[in-house]
Amino acid sequence: MLLAKPAWLLAIAVWVFAAKTGAAGDIDFEQHVAKILVRHCAGCHNGSDPKGGLDLTRHATALAGGESQLSAIAPKDLDNSYLLKRIRSGEMPPPGKGQEVTAAELAMLETWIQAGAAWPRDRVLSPFDLTSETRAGRDWWSLQKPQRPTVPTVEHAEQVRTPIDAFVLSKLEQHGLEPAEEADRATYIRRATFDLLGLPPSRQEIEAFANDTASDAYDRLIDRLLASPRYGERWARHWLDVVRFAESNGYETNTARANAWPYRDWVIRALNDDLPYPQFIIAQLAGDQLGVDAATGYLVGGAHDIVGSPDIELTLQQRMNDLDDMVSTTSTAFLGLTVGCAKCHDHKFDPIAQRDYYALQAIFAGVQHGEREVRAPETEKIRNQREELRNQLAAVERRAQAAWLQYQPLAQVGNSSSSPGRPAVNALLNVDRFSPTRARFVRFTILATNASEPCLDELEVFTADNPPRNLALASLGAKATASSVFAGGGSPVHQIEHLNDGRYGNGRSWISAEAGGGWVQLELLEPATIDRVVWARDREGTFRDRIPTRYKIEISEAGDQWRLVAGGDDRKAFDPRAKSPELFSTEALPSDVAEQAQHDRSEAEMLRTKLEQISPQKAYAGNFMQPEPTHVLYRGEPLQRRDQVAPGAIAAVSPPLAQAADAPEAERRAALAKWLGDQRNPLTARVMANRIWHYHFGQGLVKTPSDFGFNGGRPSHPELLDWLATEFMAQGWRPKTLHRQIMLSSTYRQASRYQPAAAAKDAGGQLLWRFRPRRLEAEAIRDAVLWASGTLDLSMGGPGYDVFEPNSNYVKVYAPKQTFGPAEWRRMVYQNKPRMRQDAIFGEFDCPDSSQTTARRNVSTTALQALNLMNGSLMMQQAELFAARLEREAGTDGESQVRHAFWLAFGRAPDGDELDSARRLIAKQGLLVFCRALYNANEFLYLN
Amino acid sequence: MPIDPILSHAGRRLLERRDFLAHAAEGLSGIALANLLAKDGLLLASDTAPIRPAIQPDAPLRARPPHFPAKANRVLMIFCSGACSHLDTWDYKPELIKRHDTPMPGADKLITFQGASGNLIKSPWEFRPRGQSGKYISDLLPNLAELADEMCFIHSMTSKTNTHGPGENHMSTGFTVEGYPSAGAWVSYALGSECDNLPAFVAIPDPRGVPQAGPSNWSSGFLPAVFQGTAFNTDQPIANLSTPRGISPTAQRSTEDFLKLLNDKHLMRNPGDSELSARIASYELAARLQLSAPEVSDLSRESAATHASYGTDDPNKFKAGFARNCLLARRLLERGVRFVQLFNGAYAMGEGVGNWDGHKTLKTQYEVHAPILDQPAAALLKDLRSRGLLDDTLVVWTTEFGRMPTFQAGANGRDHNPKGFTVWLAGAGVKRAYSYGQTDEFGYQAVENPSSVYELHATILHLLGLDHQRLSYFHNGTEQRLTFVHGRVIQDVLA
Repeated sequence: MLLAKPAWLLAIAVWVFAAKTGAAGDIDFEQHVAKILVRHCAGCHNGSDPKGGLDLTRHATALAGGESQLSAIAPKDLDNSYLLKRIRSGEMPPPGKGQEVTAAELAMLETWIQAGAAWPRDRVLSPFDLTSETRAGRDWWSLQKPQRPTVPTVEHAEQVRTPIDAFVLSKLEQHGLEPAEEADRATYIRRATFDLLGLPPSRQEIEAFANDTASDAYDRLIDRLLASPRYGERWARHWLDVVRFAESNGYETNTARANAWPYRDWVIRALNDDLPYPQFIIAQLAGDQLGVDAATGYLVGGAHDIVGSPDIELTLQQRMNDLDDMVSTTSTAFLGLTVGCAKCHDHKFDPIAQRDYYALQAIFAGVQHGEREVRAPETEKIRNQREELRNQLAAVERRAQAAWLQYQPLAQVGNSSSSPGRPAVNALLNVDRFSPTRARFVRFTILATNASEPCLDELEVFTADNPPRNLALASLGAKATASSVFAGGGSPVHQIEHLNDGRYGNGRSWISAEAGGGWVQLELLEPATIDRVVWARDREGTFRDRIPTRYKIEISEAGDQWRLVAGGDDRKAFDPRAKSPELFSTEALPSDVAEQAQHDRSEAEMLRTKLEQISPQKAYAGNFMQPEPTHVLYRGEPLQRRDQVAPGAIAAVSPPLAQAADAPEAERRAALAKWLGDQRNPLTARVMANRIWHYHFGQGLVKTPSDFGFNGGRPSHPELLDWLATEFMAQGWRPKTLHRQIMLSSTYRQASRYQPAAAAKDAGGQLLWRFRPRRLEAEAIRDAVLWASGTLDLSMGGPGYDVFEPNSNYVKVYAPKQTFGPAEWRRMVYQNKPRMRQDAIFGEFDCPDSSQTTARRNVSTTALQALNLMNGSLMMQQAELFAARLEREAGTDGESQVRHAFWLAFGRAPDGDELDSARRLIAKQGLLVFCRALYNANEFLYLN
Repeated sequence: MPIDPILSHAGRRLLERRDFLAHAAEGLSGIALANLLAKDGLLLASDTAPIRPAIQPDAPLRARPPHFPAKANRVLMIFCSGACSHLDTWDYKPELIKRHDTPMPGADKLITFQGASGNLIKSPWEFRPRGQSGKYISDLLPNLAELADEMCFIHSMTSKTNTHGPGENHMSTGFTVEGYPSAGAWVSYALGSECDNLPAFVAIPDPRGVPQAGPSNWSSGFLPAVFQGTAFNTDQPIANLSTPRGISPTAQRSTEDFLKLLNDKHLMRNPGDSELSARIASYELAARLQLSAPEVSDLSRESAATHASYGTDDPNKFKAGFARNCLLARRLLERGVRFVQLFNGAYAMGEGVGNWDGHKTLKTQYEVHAPILDQPAAALLKDLRSRGLLDDTLVVWTTEFGRMPTFQAGANGRDHNPKGFTVWLAGAGVKRAYSYGQTDEFGYQAVENPSSVYELHATILHLLGLDHQRLSYFHNGTEQRLTFVHGRVIQDVLA
C-alpha cells in the first residue's frame, strides 16, 4: 500500500522525475499525466454516468469534483486535491480493480498539480486511449495493422517446407521441443479429405496416393480436393455456424422458412468458386445491389419473433432484437469483436463506444426480415407474365364481385317486423345497398364487434351509375374522419388515411381506439347519387377479429340532416365459424348472369393455377426500406432515446467510416462491406485467416476465433498470424490459396503421435508439436455413415430434406421422423435446419442450435451420443444397407467382407486380431451386427 | 438384460493415471478453453474471481463441491407454461373484488399484449384463509392451497417480456433470446450429480406436449452438451434408449466385445488421448442408463395408496399423465438427480387450450387446467415432505409471467402481465408460510420489493451453495453467468 510511504520516498521520486525531464515545467500532459489518469481512473470516472459523480476525463469536471463536492484536482494546491488524498489513502483505485498507483506516478501527479495542473484545451481523456491491466485501448494488438514479419531462421531448416513451418519451428526450438515425424500417407489423405470435403477417401484414392512417387504428389492431392464441389459443402457448414444460419424463425412459433436455402446454396457456390473474401463480404451485406440476391440471406439469417402485438414497447423490443442480431453477428463474424456488449453502455473491455454500436445499428436500420424475389435472367419475363395474369384475374374477380354486389338484397331500415333476410356480416366483404339517394356525407357507426376495437380495411361508396364508380377514394378528393384512431395514431398500419386509399388488407386499415365501437365519416368532393356502401374487415382474408357486427350507415347531403340507410338489424346473426361470401355463387342471380358467373369461376381457377406454376423463386433474404433516424438508447431500452447517430463503424478500428445521417439505405450496407474488406482494416484478414487455421487444426492461433478483444485469447504465434493475414491479402484474399499453404506445410503433415515430454511443457498443444487428433463433427459423422453404406446421395443444391414430420401448426411441432428413405440420404448440410431443434441422432454431437453465432463447436462426449449411434433407427437402417453392400461387393467370403468393411469404415485393412474377431462376430451374429459395431468404434469418429 | 462395463483394462489404466486431469483439462474438450485462459493469467485471483468447476472428461457429471455449504442438494422446478394468473391463485386482492367491473385507473391508455383492457374483474374463484398461517388462496387449486404453510411466496416477481417464448426463455435461462444455458444446465455444470446412472438434469414435458419455448427451457446453450436437460416422461422415454428389436441380448453382448477390441487397439495406437477413453466410458454410462431410466420410469412398484394420492389412474387422461410425471419427478429426486424441471402445460394445441394462457374465457379454460395440476402437484409436495426429501430439496413453482387484473376488451379473460406476478418456493433453506413483496391494490404491478428473475436465479443458486456472481463459463469473450450482470440473493426468503 502507498499509505505509509515515507515522505522522503516521494521526495526522491519527484527528484528522479525532475532529473529525467529537466524541470517540472517540461511535463508533457499526454506522455506523463494522461496515461496515469487513463490507466488508473478513467475506467470508472468517465462519461455521463461516472462513479461517484466524478468525471476525471474532462478538465472542468476534474476541477469541480464529484458527489463529495471536493475538487479532485486543485491546481497548485496539493492539500486540497482530493484525488491525491484518495490515492494516498489506498482507497483509489479500489483494491481488486486494476493496478495500484505507483509512487513515481503519484509523485508525477503531485508535480503536475503543483505546477498548475495544465490541461490542454478541449482534451477529453478516454478509457479507450490506452490498454491497461483491466481493458484494451486503441493500442490493442489486434487493432494495429498486421505487418509482414520476417520469416525466422531455424536450426532444423530441413524441416521447413513453407514459411509457416519456420514460424512454428522457431517457437518449438525456443521451448526445446521437436515436431512429430511426418504422418504416413494413408493418415494424411484421410485427414486432408475429411478436412476439405467432410468425407472419407476411397480405398482407390488412398492406395493411389500411397503409391504416387511423383514429387508433387501432395500438391496434386490438395489441388484435386480443392477442385471438388464437396469442398464448398463442407466449408459452407463452418461459415453457416458462424453466421447462425437456420431455416426457422425461432422463439415460440419457430415456424419454418421454406425459402432460406438459397443462401446456403450461395455460400456453397461462393466457396467452390473461391470468391475473394471482400467480394464474399459485400455480397452478403449488399448483394441486392450486385445481382446476388440470395447472399443477403446472411442479414436475416438470425431468429425473428413473429408474434405480433399492439403493445408498442414489445414491438420496438422485437425490432431491437432483430437489429442486435445483425450488429452482433456482423461484428463477431467479420471483425472478431463483441460489439453486442456495447448496446447498453461503452464496452467494459474493448475500445467500443455505445455510440459505435448504434452507428452500426444505423447501417442495418433499413433491413427487414422477410422473403424477396431472387433476380435471375428470366425474372423480368416471369414478372411480366405474372403481372398480366394478375390483371386478368383481377378483372374476372371485379366482374364477379360487381355481379354479386348488384344482386345482394336491399337493406331494410325502420321496419322492425321484417325478418333478418340479408347475409350475416363477414370479414371479407359486405355490401349495404339502398335506393339511389343524393348525398355528400356518409357516416358508418359501429355499435358492436366480434372482438376488440373495430377494423375497416377500406370503405367504398358507389354511384348508382352503370358501371358504378367508387367516389370514396381520397384520390378523387373524398376526406375521411373518425371518432378515434388505434393507439392514438401510433401504429403505422392502422390509420384513418387507410380507410379510403384504395388499398385492401389489414396492413392498410383503420382501427378505432374504442373497444367495440367508433365511427368514420366520408365527405365526398361533391354531392352525387349513390346506392351502396361496400366495406370489409380484411379483404386479404388474414384476419377475422374486429368485425363490426352491429352498425348503422347514415347519409346526408349537406352534413346537417342525416338519414339512416342501412344497418345490421336486417342481417342474419353473426356466426364466427361461417365462411366468407362466395363471389362466384350463382344463388340469387338471374340465369344469364349466373351463366357468366360459372364461366368466371372456371376462368379464375385456371388463372390461379397458372400463377402458382410460374411463381419466381423467392429467398429469405430480407427487404430494404429507408429507415427512420437511429438514436443511442439509454441502457439499451427502446423507449429511452438519446442522441441521434449517423451510420458508421467502430471508431477505434481504422480506416474511419462516417456517413451522412440520412445516407441512402443501400449505400450504408455497401459502405460497411467495403470498410470490412479494406486492406487497412486490421481485423478482417486476421480473423478470417485464424478461422481457416482453426478448422484445419481444431484450434486457432487465437483460441477465440470470434473474439480478438481483451477477453479473447492472445495469439500463440503472433508473427505467423500476421504472415498468414498479409499473405491472404497479397494472394487476392482467396481461401483456397490459404488452404494450400497450410496443408502442404510440414506442420500440417505431422503425425498425431502423443509426446509425453512435449505435453508436459505444452499440454494444450498450442505450440503444434503434433497434429492434434479430433472427433469428427456431426455432419461428417452422418455423411460418413451414409458413405460407408453406399447410400450417400451427392446431388447438390435446392431445398433441403426434412428430418421432422410435416406440421403446419402456428407453433410448429417438431416430431422426429422414425423412418428414413433416399430423400433423407443427402449430405447433412442439406438437412433443413430449424432453430433449437436437433437431428435426433447427430444433433447430440455438438451441433449448434443456431440461436447464436458459433465460432467454435464444443466437443463433448455424452451417454446420449452412445445411445443414438447404437440404437437410432437411421443407424440400424444404415447398418443393414452397409451389410447388404458388403455382400453385394465382396461376395460371401467372410475375409473379403471384413477387409472391404474396414476400408470403408476406417480407410485401412484389418490386422490379424481384428480380422479373426470380426469373422467370428459375423459367423455368430451376422453382418448387420458387425456393421453396427463399426459405426460405433472410436476410429470411425476420430481423425488422426 | 445384464450389461458388462465396456471399458477395458487399458482404458481404465489410462483413466486412472495420476496426471490424467492435467491432460484432460487440455484435451479435445471444449471445457479446456476456460482453463487455458485462466492459465494465461487473465483472471484476477480474488474473492470475486469467477469460479469454473474442473470437469473431468470421463466423468463430467461426477459430484462437485459447492462454493459454500449448501442448504439444498437438488431442485424441483414446477413450471406452469402459458402464464398462470396470480390473481386467480396466490395473490389475494380485496380491492379487486370491491372494484369489480369498474375501470382500472389509467387503464384506458394501456395497450397490453393483445390490445385494450376492459374493466377490473375479480377472480371467479373465492379466496379463503388456509393452514395455520391463514394465507388467502383461491379455490382454484384446493389441494395445493392446503399446503400454504410450506410455501414461501414471492408476490413481486417481474419479467422482462410479455411474450411466451421469450418469457419462458427468461425464466429458464435468464435471457429472453434463445441460446443460453438453462438454470438446470448451470446447476449440473456447477455441481454434477449425486447419481451416476441417470442424467444430472431431467426435463419432464407435460403429457400434452412441450412448453412454448420448447427445448430452450432445458438447453445447455454454450455449455457442453452433457449438461443439457434430458427430456422424458412416463409416456415418452428417452429417445433411442432401447436396443433395437433386431438386436438380441447376445448380439448386443458380442457387439460390445468386438467394440472393446477395436477401441482397445485404437487406444494403444493413440496413447495419451483421454478423449478416446472418455468416449469409451460414455458407452458405459449409456448402458447403465438403459437399465436405470426404465427402472425409474416404472411406477408399478409404487403402492396403490401412492397412486391414488397422485391420481395416476384418474379418468382425465391428462391429469393421470401429469400425475405419473409428478411421481416420476419424486423418483428422480430420490435417486439424486440434481435438477428436475416439471412442466405443466403445452402450447401445440393452441392458445390456452393446453396451457394457462387464459385470454378469452379464463374461467372455462382454468377449470380444465387447474385439476390437472392441483392434486398431483400437491401429492408430490406431500410425498417429498413425508419422505424427508423436502429437507434438502428446493421446490420452485413458477410460470413465465402473470396476467392482468382487467379482462381484455371484448373478452372474458386476462391479458399478459409481466409487471407483477407470483412464484413460490418450498423446502430446503427457505422460510415457511412467508410472503415476500407485494403487487399494488389490484395486483397489476409489483410495488413492494419488486423482484426479478435474476434474483430468483441468484437465490436458487445460493441455496445450492453457489455464488451467482462467480459461477461462470467463458464464452464469446465474456464471463457468462446465469444472472448475466444482474441479480442479488433475496435474503428475506432464506430460513
